[in-house]
Amino acid sequence: MAGAIIENMSTRKLCIVGGILLVLQVIAFLVGGLIAPSPTTAVPYMSVKCIDVRKNHHKAKWLMPWGPNHCKKLKDFDEAVSRQIEANDIVFAVHIPLPSKEMSPWFQFMLFIMQLDIAFKMDNDLKENAEITLDVSLAYRDDMFDDWEEIAHAIEIRKLKCTFGSPKTVESEGRHYDCDFLPFMEIGSVAHKYYLINIRLPVNDRKGINVGIGEIKDIRLVGIHQNGGFTKVWFAMKTFLTPSILIIMVWYWRRITLMTRAPVLLEKVIFALGISMTFINIPVEWFSIGFDWTWMLLFGDIRQGIFYAMLLSFWIIFCGEHMMDQNERNRLSGYWKQVGPIAVGSFCLFIFDMCERGVQLKNPFYSIWTTEVGTELAMAFIIVAGICLCLYFLFLCFMVFQVFRNISGKQSSLPAMSKARRLHYEGLIFRFKFMMLITLACAAMTVIFFIVSQVTEGHWKWGDITIQVNSAFFTGIYGMWNLYVFALMFLYAPSHKNYGEDQSNGDLGVNSGEELQLTTTITHVDGPTEVYKLARKEAQE
Amino acid sequence: HCGSPGELPWLGSCAAQLVSSLTHLLSRFSPSRLTGKEALTQFPSLGAPGGSGPGQGHVKQCELLQLSRKQRRLCRREPGLAETLRDAIRLGVLECQFQFRSERWNCSLEGRPSLLKRGFKETAFLYAVSSAALTHSLARACSAGRMERCTCDDSPGLENRKAWQWGVCGDNLKYSTKFLKKFLGQKRIGKDLRAKVDIHNTNVGIKAVKNGLKTTCKCHGVSGSCAVRTCWKQLSPFHEIGRLLKLRYDDAVKVFSTTNDAVGHSELAGPHRHGHSGKQPALPRPTDLVYVEDSPSFCRPSKYSLGTAGRTCSREGNCDSMCCGRGYNTQSRLVTFSCHCQVQWCCYVECQQCMQEEVVYSCKQ
Repeated sequence: MAGAIIENMSTRKLCIVGGILLVLQVIAFLVGGLIAPSPTTAVPYMSVKCIDVRKNHHKAKWLMPWGPNHCKKLKDFDEAVSRQIEANDIVFAVHIPLPSKEMSPWFQFMLFIMQLDIAFKMDNDLKENAEITLDVSLAYRDDMFDDWEEIAHAIEIRKLKCTFGSPKTVESEGRHYDCDFLPFMEIGSVAHKYYLINIRLPVNDRKGINVGIGEIKDIRLVGIHQNGGFTKVWFAMKTFLTPSILIIMVWYWRRITLMTRAPVLLEKVIFALGISMTFINIPVEWFSIGFDWTWMLLFGDIRQGIFYAMLLSFWIIFCGEHMMDQNERNRLSGYWKQVGPIAVGSFCLFIFDMCERGVQLKNPFYSIWTTEVGTELAMAFIIVAGICLCLYFLFLCFMVFQVFRNISGKQSSLPAMSKARRLHYEGLIFRFKFMMLITLACAAMTVIFFIVSQVTEGHWKWGDITIQVNSAFFTGIYGMWNLYVFALMFLYAPSHKNYGEDQSNGDLGVNSGEELQLTTTITHVDGPTEVYKLARKEAQE
Repeated sequence: HCGSPGELPWLGSCAAQLVSSLTHLLSRFSPSRLTGKEALTQFPSLGAPGGSGPGQGHVKQCELLQLSRKQRRLCRREPGLAETLRDAIRLGVLECQFQFRSERWNCSLEGRPSLLKRGFKETAFLYAVSSAALTHSLARACSAGRMERCTCDDSPGLENRKAWQWGVCGDNLKYSTKFLKKFLGQKRIGKDLRAKVDIHNTNVGIKAVKNGLKTTCKCHGVSGSCAVRTCWKQLSPFHEIGRLLKLRYDDAVKVFSTTNDAVGHSELAGPHRHGHSGKQPALPRPTDLVYVEDSPSFCRPSKYSLGTAGRTCSREGNCDSMCCGRGYNTQSRLVTFSCHCQVQWCCYVECQQCMQEEVVYSCKQ
């Protein structure tokens, strides 16, 4: 028992496997590019200014912007001045979606951002660091003629960050400030057909609420949701990938258990990588179609986080186990320096995510970025995570460098070695280089596609064919990492073939004892004495 | 109506008709003494938007607008369209008057019908600003839910609802330009020069709105990272578009008609540009406003304007040019105005009354 499948496979077979994987990869890209629509849609909503004609504001009443029971509308605020309508009686109403449409569970999530149109006026200037207080409520219904049911109600404070391009003179009155958009709302499931948002801007002079916020002309919302078509393609892909990875995982683990020795660290890590990939793959999202599970978004984040952490750990351990030096590893604790930052970084991001999306389960209008403390806290988490990531990459690069240095050292002494030893090192080097190559290729592909999808328009047109670049990016990259894990488990599973099997006896017989030691070097189960012996022999050679 | 050249011989197509009817409409309701803003309140049933229910109200409003048969059909089919058209008129007129507040021609409503029958620079601006306002208002109405058939209408091969759920609906602006082109019936290109000029200027207006779009993006991937990013286009405030069109007005290109032998029909041609080799006259760029006749001076009362007599001007600025060299009267008067205002959002204004001596310059007769 020595080596992995990849070492003992003929080049021809390797090429065939590579070819099949490549075809699957292309299919993954094409599924996203040709079948799926763009991943998300942004729908702009212009709020309608309603007049709340009731005298008391206690009882929740919902104001509709359009439709059969629409509210009394205001055209603009000049009208409100002349009709002596108070700010507290004005409600900005937005109905989601627009007329003759319905929301659907396939949209998976909804997030809204808010844009304020603030006009410049000499005597009502926007104050520095102005804060706007919003009294927001969200309701749903599933039938056009049902009553609205409240989902959430909150009073939120948002900071206004606006600039004014022209000099602040009488001449430029009426021109709009250029304001950053504000995070408004995030919901992790779209279980209902119709939603209604009512926003009030209560004014309280004494408490200084909503004073100095300038002349607000309009409130616009932009709703972002995942496209149903994309969701369907995505689910289909997951449903297809889950069994494929699961099968190879079972096969892989069976091979390991068939061996006489206990599995080594690298094999365990590869298996763990397979598990975390399956964890992402399992299409639990199907349940979101039937159930109102708002935590799905958070759950998805956690699953992805686990996979990334696993992948990063795998790279480090893979490098370490191919170091070809005389250090004893084969224990996770031997990698604490490298794996530590990953753990800390992922933990930071987990806490951050819990603070943002976790709290949003309770209050969809919450955002950690809206308060001073929250922003600093969030930044702290992200910076720590960033530092950890940098640290990790430094370690990784250093390790890769070390491996290459050792490889070049070994390569120069290869011809002088005995055949078994040479084969062993050649196998190690090949395994490492091959792994390096596909990892770099995958990483490069991810980065390139990420950049392409960021800079291009979103879809390319060739004659009649439209390619959705963003969807292709998502399905392609997702498929790619699945194939990566698949290939890893397949090619790095222990081989049944012996070194000797496809060789003529040669001088192997002489070195049968040595061979045993060699295999233990790969697996490092036998402790330092064997390594020491090997090292001495090497020195002799 | 539209398409019967007997009635409106100067129009080659319906395209111009709507834009002109938008502008005509205002002139019909404006007594001479009124400024633009006041004129708007003169509209019948304009006051309470949404006051008329979704029932027959909009049909009546469609009748009030000067529309062709086809346009009226579209207007009846789409309940929110009439209101949107009115918004567009209002928006266009206010913006035009704002941009021309210190020019000899102040975009007044008087003389507008006669102006629209000619091919001046001012006519070009009117067409452009009206169509820009229409595009802008349509897109806005779509996002306010005032129109029923917005974005998903033009997705091919899929039923409306399915297209929305699958996610292939276009954006509002794409819809509104498409709708506008259908509404104006631009497919039939008029033969005479002025009709072509009008269509060209109408398209300049539409393009100005399109070029004024700002793309904004939001990242919402894992932990808010940019792994997933959604972008959308956002209309810029109409003031910006008005300003842009005013600049285009200042650089408007005079054109004449040439017959392109290769294609076989006539097309617009501008003056020879510097550095433009060859004898072929340059085509006006799609962003240029074009005109065919030199403008009148607008100094004296004519059928195009009331003239500049009595207009106030600023002494350091434009008095010489506005008063056409006739000189200006200087009048000093005591004016009361609101000052030290306490303004709050919304709808609360508390001011003191201040008195100030003010010198007013106005053009002589």
